[in-house]
Amino acid sequence: MATRCQYESSNEIGVFSSLTNSYALCAIGGSENFYSIFEAELAEHIPVIHTSISGVRMVGNMTVGNRRGLLVPSTTTDQELQHLRNSLPDGVVIQRVEERLSALGNCITCNDHVALIHTDLDRETEDIISDVLGVEVFRQTVAGNALVGSYCKFTNQGGIVHPRTTVEDIEELSSLTCVPLVAGTVNRGSDVLGGGMVVNDWCAFVGMDTTSTEISVVESIFKLKGEAGGDIVKDMRASLIDQLS
Amino acid sequence: MVVYNFKKIGPVPSATDMVDIVLTRTQRKTPTVIHPGYKISRIRSFYMRKVKFTQQTIAERLGNIVEHFPRLNDIHPFYADLMNILYDRDHYKLALGQINTAKGLIDSLSRDYIRLLKYGDSLYRCKQLKRAALGRMCTIIKRQKSAFAYLEEVRKHLSRLPALDPHTRTLLVTGYPNVGKSSFMNKVTRANVDVQPYAFTTKSLFVGHMDHRYLRWQVIDTPGILDKPLEERNTIEMQAVTALAHLQCAVLYFVDLSEQCGYTVEQQCSLFKSIKPLFANKQLILVVNKIDVQPWETLEQEKKKMIEGLSESANCSMMLMSNVTEEGVMDVKSAACDKLLQARVDQRVVGKKVDDVMNRLQVFHPSARDDETREAFIPESVAQARKEGRIGSADHKAKKSTTGYAVTKNDGNEEMAGRNSNPDPGRKTERDIMWEMGGPGVYSMDYRKNYDLANPEHKFDAIPEIMDGKNIADYVDPDIDAKLAALEAEEDQRMAENQAARMGESDESDLDEDEEDAITKIRTVKAVSREKSGINRKQNTPVMPRSVRGRQKDKHDKAVLDTIQSHLGGLGVETEGITKNVRGRKRERKDRSVGGDAMDEEVDTTNMSSTQKKKIRKEKKDGEKREQSLARSHSRPREPSQVGLKDEEARKVATKKEITAKRAFNGLSGEGDHRKTVHLVKWMNTGKKRNGTHNKR
Repeated sequence: MATRCQYESSNEIGVFSSLTNSYALCAIGGSENFYSIFEAELAEHIPVIHTSISGVRMVGNMTVGNRRGLLVPSTTTDQELQHLRNSLPDGVVIQRVEERLSALGNCITCNDHVALIHTDLDRETEDIISDVLGVEVFRQTVAGNALVGSYCKFTNQGGIVHPRTTVEDIEELSSLTCVPLVAGTVNRGSDVLGGGMVVNDWCAFVGMDTTSTEISVVESIFKLKGEAGGDIVKDMRASLIDQLS
Repeated sequence: MVVYNFKKIGPVPSATDMVDIVLTRTQRKTPTVIHPGYKISRIRSFYMRKVKFTQQTIAERLGNIVEHFPRLNDIHPFYADLMNILYDRDHYKLALGQINTAKGLIDSLSRDYIRLLKYGDSLYRCKQLKRAALGRMCTIIKRQKSAFAYLEEVRKHLSRLPALDPHTRTLLVTGYPNVGKSSFMNKVTRANVDVQPYAFTTKSLFVGHMDHRYLRWQVIDTPGILDKPLEERNTIEMQAVTALAHLQCAVLYFVDLSEQCGYTVEQQCSLFKSIKPLFANKQLILVVNKIDVQPWETLEQEKKKMIEGLSESANCSMMLMSNVTEEGVMDVKSAACDKLLQARVDQRVVGKKVDDVMNRLQVFHPSARDDETREAFIPESVAQARKEGRIGSADHKAKKSTTGYAVTKNDGNEEMAGRNSNPDPGRKTERDIMWEMGGPGVYSMDYRKNYDLANPEHKFDAIPEIMDGKNIADYVDPDIDAKLAALEAEEDQRMAENQAARMGESDESDLDEDEEDAITKIRTVKAVSREKSGINRKQNTPVMPRSVRGRQKDKHDKAVLDTIQSHLGGLGVETEGITKNVRGRKRERKDRSVGGDAMDEEVDTTNMSSTQKKKIRKEKKDGEKREQSLARSHSRPREPSQVGLKDEEARKVATKKEITAKRAFNGLSGEGDHRKTVHLVKWMNTGKKRNGTHNKR
């Protein structure tokens, strides 16, 4: 199920946190409110880790990871790396990446099997991604945007892409990622999906502005209610048509 | 889509207020000081500015009114009709038209007066013209007194109209007075409409909002309508009719089975028939209300038939409902919503709009590209929690986390605990700890406590600081403090010894006398040169580069040339003409003409050959020509004769005249200075004066 939350009154929670099936990262804030939203939902199952990346709070933008590993940019300090290593489970590999495009979270998006990456990423980075995260890597754009991490979001169960992606593009992306996809928005019509939400195979967090329609789409496409979740095509078609057109 | 917000219309002042506003504004924003001594052009422009400014202020004010009030032809027909009913279309248009005419009149009036002001020949006349202009403008405004008052009333009423969007999903409740329309409204929305047991409790349209199928719906409660011809209906009923006529909506027609409203079922059915044309192209539901008082089953057969006949004739569904027992309320609501939604969707599917959002209506399932299965990864604990219904169960509603907010008094409350997102109430979150330990800004979490280490005892160990791959601690001597203290003590001791030794010894020099002398001389020379340079530096002149400085010196200072000459002479160099070649030598005027000075002199031509004479004459002529051409080509002050004046005297006179002509009369310290000095009257000030007699004169 999806939870609405805010990081210090910003709805772009994907910037300040990242979530995978085996750990979650949270920015360090003025209070523990944001952290505790994650903690309350997740701490029972996976570690929720406070961290900064090279002293910056945008942990979601700067890092990318899945169940097997975590990639951090080269600017990450030794202390942060040490802290992450100490906090992460032993099964998770952490790796610093020497890459010019250091906002890895914007340039890369992945689940536990497939990664889509920015078209200009280095060859070495591509190798690191496939080795550390154990995924197949595809260079792709989403609706003409090279920042795949910002404009699409997918897990092992499903995914959501930029609302202006054409039907053909979605079909192609779906066959690459091997998960069902749908175009959609978060935060009352925002197309920055990577910024507006974090999600894993059983849990999602979305920005506070997200409407109930958007939440229902998210819950249904990511199968957050288990098998019981309905099909948006049947349930919500009328509402979506009436709202969107 | 146009969103109607009539609250933005600014208040309309009354006519007298308007006059005050305009005149004070003119007074505040234009200059106020003018004197008869000023130039007439200045006086005219002063008053023209006042007239023009007043006209502009009025035009702006009136223009705002005309512009901000909605134009009946431009707004949605529902609002246009509603305004017609409430404010009378003709009256409204007339009022706005009058304001607009007044604006035009004032414009042309100000144009006329400005034209007149151009011919004003004194301050007094200009002032009278301005007064006349402003006075007439104010009269025109005052004549629109009733229009202003009417528009202000309209504005007040408009701003209180419910924010009703004619384009959105709408349910409209209608029927006879007192059949339970407002009660239904209160049941499905939070509008909190007044419900009273008498007819016409609701006197105008009310709007409420509700959620259904992820969408927002607008519910409109209308005043009851009676069964009479359209012409005889009053304003209150007409509002309901307008809403029925113009809004694309689902209509709920309420019928009171119990007849408690004071109208029989027959009457209610005949009203339905008479307003049936208004239901065309709308989704209609016949709601049979108050079944708690008069159940449908026990209703008389003929009434039953009558109502069923109605629903058949209008091809609409009939639903039973009771506001008191809430039986059927939600069914009516969802049936109406679904019916309307279906109609709206059908309408859109026919058009092309749906194609644009097709990617959002369809889930794209992947076609398998290899045999690999890519499984989801859900930890055991999550699956367990799901099974227990703690997370992700189908009835789990999407929710706003309350975790992110400050502790409220409800936090411990059982009911609130259900709304709190914490799925594991036994667990103390970091936020709880934070509030216990003093709140944000005071508490700071020790991140080490969540470390996942092989040996949990190592969690809080100090982490070694590594630099360049080496542990800094390895290079730290444990005795460093003691050693440093010992070193410092030794240093102090040595210093003390040195000091003591120096006190004892004499400062005897080991130089002999000659060396001392040489040193003294050197020091003297140094001191002198330092002094000199100090003096030189005192000249507060810009420092010139040496090359430039040298050249200038050479040019003007004869002594330098002499020095060079004598110095070179002393060395045995031939000095004749040597200074001619120095760089800075003054350039002599070249004789352009061959004749040189001879030109101006009388040349003795007696013993010259004719060719020579000719040559000399030619040269003289050429020289004159050249001088004239030089005068033409060079920009330089001409001789008086050359500027067209006879001589120096004439030029001086001309210059003086030029200066006095440029000087305008400015009083003593400018135009505004009207100081009158004491006028000395001759008879009062001449003659003998003695002490005490001066005043008498």
